[in-house]
Amino acid sequence: MWTIKRFPLLWLLPALLPVLLMTLYPIGHALWTSLHRVMILFPGEPFVGLDNYKRVMASSYFYDALKNSLVFTFFAAPSVVVIGVLVALFLQRRFFGSQIVRSVVLLPWVLPGAISAVLWIWVFHPSFGVLNAILRSLNIIDRSIPWLISPQLAPISVTIAHVWTQIPFAVILTMAALSTINSETLDAAALDCRSSFKRFRYVLFPEIRSMIVVLLVYNSLIAFTGYDLVYAMTSGGPGTATTLLSFQIWRESFSMYDFGAGSAVAFIVVLISATLIIAITRALPSDLFGGDEP
Amino acid sequence: MQLKKVLLAMSMATGVFAAQTALAGEDITLEFVVWNYSLDTIQDNIKIFEAKNPGIKVNLTDYTWTDYQDSLILRFRSNTQTDVIYGGQDWLPAWASAGFVAPLNDIAPPDELSALSDDIAGFALSDMTVDDELYGLPYYADTISFIYNKKILDDAGIAVPRTWEEVTAASLKLQASGMERPFVYELNQELPNFFDAFVAQSYGRGAELFDADQNAVFADPENGAYKQLEWLADAYSQGLIQPETHESKIIPAMNTGNHAFTVVYNYVLAALNNSATQPLAGQFALALMPGAENSTLGFSKFYAVTAKTAADPERAEAAWKFINFMAGGDYTIAKRWAVEKGLGFGQLPLYDDSDVIEAWGKWVDVSTLNQQAATAKAGVWTEWGGVWSAYFRPLLAKAMVGEATVDEVMQEGAQRWNELKEQFANR
Repeated sequence: MWTIKRFPLLWLLPALLPVLLMTLYPIGHALWTSLHRVMILFPGEPFVGLDNYKRVMASSYFYDALKNSLVFTFFAAPSVVVIGVLVALFLQRRFFGSQIVRSVVLLPWVLPGAISAVLWIWVFHPSFGVLNAILRSLNIIDRSIPWLISPQLAPISVTIAHVWTQIPFAVILTMAALSTINSETLDAAALDCRSSFKRFRYVLFPEIRSMIVVLLVYNSLIAFTGYDLVYAMTSGGPGTATTLLSFQIWRESFSMYDFGAGSAVAFIVVLISATLIIAITRALPSDLFGGDEP
Repeated sequence: MQLKKVLLAMSMATGVFAAQTALAGEDITLEFVVWNYSLDTIQDNIKIFEAKNPGIKVNLTDYTWTDYQDSLILRFRSNTQTDVIYGGQDWLPAWASAGFVAPLNDIAPPDELSALSDDIAGFALSDMTVDDELYGLPYYADTISFIYNKKILDDAGIAVPRTWEEVTAASLKLQASGMERPFVYELNQELPNFFDAFVAQSYGRGAELFDADQNAVFADPENGAYKQLEWLADAYSQGLIQPETHESKIIPAMNTGNHAFTVVYNYVLAALNNSATQPLAGQFALALMPGAENSTLGFSKFYAVTAKTAADPERAEAAWKFINFMAGGDYTIAKRWAVEKGLGFGQLPLYDDSDVIEAWGKWVDVSTLNQQAATAKAGVWTEWGGVWSAYFRPLLAKAMVGEATVDEVMQEGAQRWNELKEQFANR
């Protein structure tokens, strides 16, 4: 008799097959590509073992991209979480127009990365940018600041743009976590503790810390694999100042026609990402996600 | 019963539709892929072609210039139907070697092609030829030029610079009088023209980047290209250069009056001097590329046919008609681009065309332009050139912005060139 209890795998197949097709197959093919010489200008696709990996790791571009990606992640991910939590705490309050403010806060998240990049180019542009115009009008500067063309400032500009795009998601998740806190707990905390900071530290933070960790891990991954803003704002430049590993994947594959090397960089990114996640989760207290024992 | 009626109606409708399709005749639809410059002009040209060639339709697909190369690569590798494309001189050897594009001999009547070839300027013909096979007809051909603001120099009492040292002196004088960054420069390391502009400046100094055996020689500190990169790095460190990511941003930047010099394609000068759209139109002029020899890079972009289309006799014939219409015949379309948009051309008869001369006289000193064109040299384009250029351009940018020394960059660039040359030789 064909009931769901019998042949469970068969019943799952219609849902599993598209997932396998769109995840396992591309990943498997990318792994295969990384172990073969796949250059459109060379005949055949012979097996080369780890040669692609050795070649990319011997390149100065790889180390520039790796350093940039790690630094970018180190600054961007915590910034998103901190600012997102602060904004969420602010939006928890009721004030006139709070609903409108909540909607506006979400706007950066719905914009495609390329559109956000164009927007921020017009903020940071040395000649036409809004930021330099404001700073000049306030007599804070008398020469325009090269936000996107200085190797020191361009990474900061891209980081700011990235953080802006990711804050809304952190706000939403934090507000969701805050909404699960028992209102009587909040009332009691308001009575017992006048300091907002202490209320947050001893009452709110313990309740939402698991969500904060999830956000930290998620934003670390997003930052480490970021691509669209870099591509649209700076093309990885000036020089290699804003080249991230994901951008290097694109450059190896589509500029240098070496899909094997591009796939190798992609898998190195996967390995580093996995290491990051493991490192973060191992650093966490063991009871972080556990409920209270009865 | 109701279901039967519905099924019968559907099958009848399907039959009528199929019959209509068969009766309509079999138009060929060519897939024409371009970068997105002046799409309305292209569409208009296509309409004229279709009107003259019943039975051939042309479907236009465009990509941005920055995405064009890798979009084409994706199309080729995914076997997406692509018939006629815009090609570039720096990509051609690699694409020809990979079998993506076919020589025009495969689709064109030999006598027609020969007559057209005789009418093509030398550097343009060189750019479209690989292993003595012609792969394209010119869409446009141009030189990269040194452009300045006449009014700014006149007001400051500065003579038009003829050497890069004079450019530095002029820029410093302008900077001292309040102009922040006198030189606006297209600095986008992902664009092939970032390297082309560097080659053009090096040619101005009389430099060759490669010797007769195609070995890299630019790592020698005495080489003009080395010196030009030193000049760029020095100018950048002194704050003389305002980088912009694309020529489309150079046009409004120059029209603010805040910059005096730039190095771009000639058609950008036409846009700069367009009185209908630019506030400072008429102030911009072309000067010979600074340097001992005042030479520059000449190049050609062209219409090419894909190998897959060339192998299909029907599509090949349609593709040749289209390419011949756009770039051959009586050069009507090439002339249109020249007169309306200021695009350069590779078709020699147009140099003597009175309409072209009259139109160009509105935005450029034609005698200076002809002088520059006469000294223009083609670049060195090899199968590995595109791959190497993608590797070298970020290094160029690193040297310019001071992230690496000129010597480090030139040594690494030369080493990678020679490695690739050997790799391709042993393929």
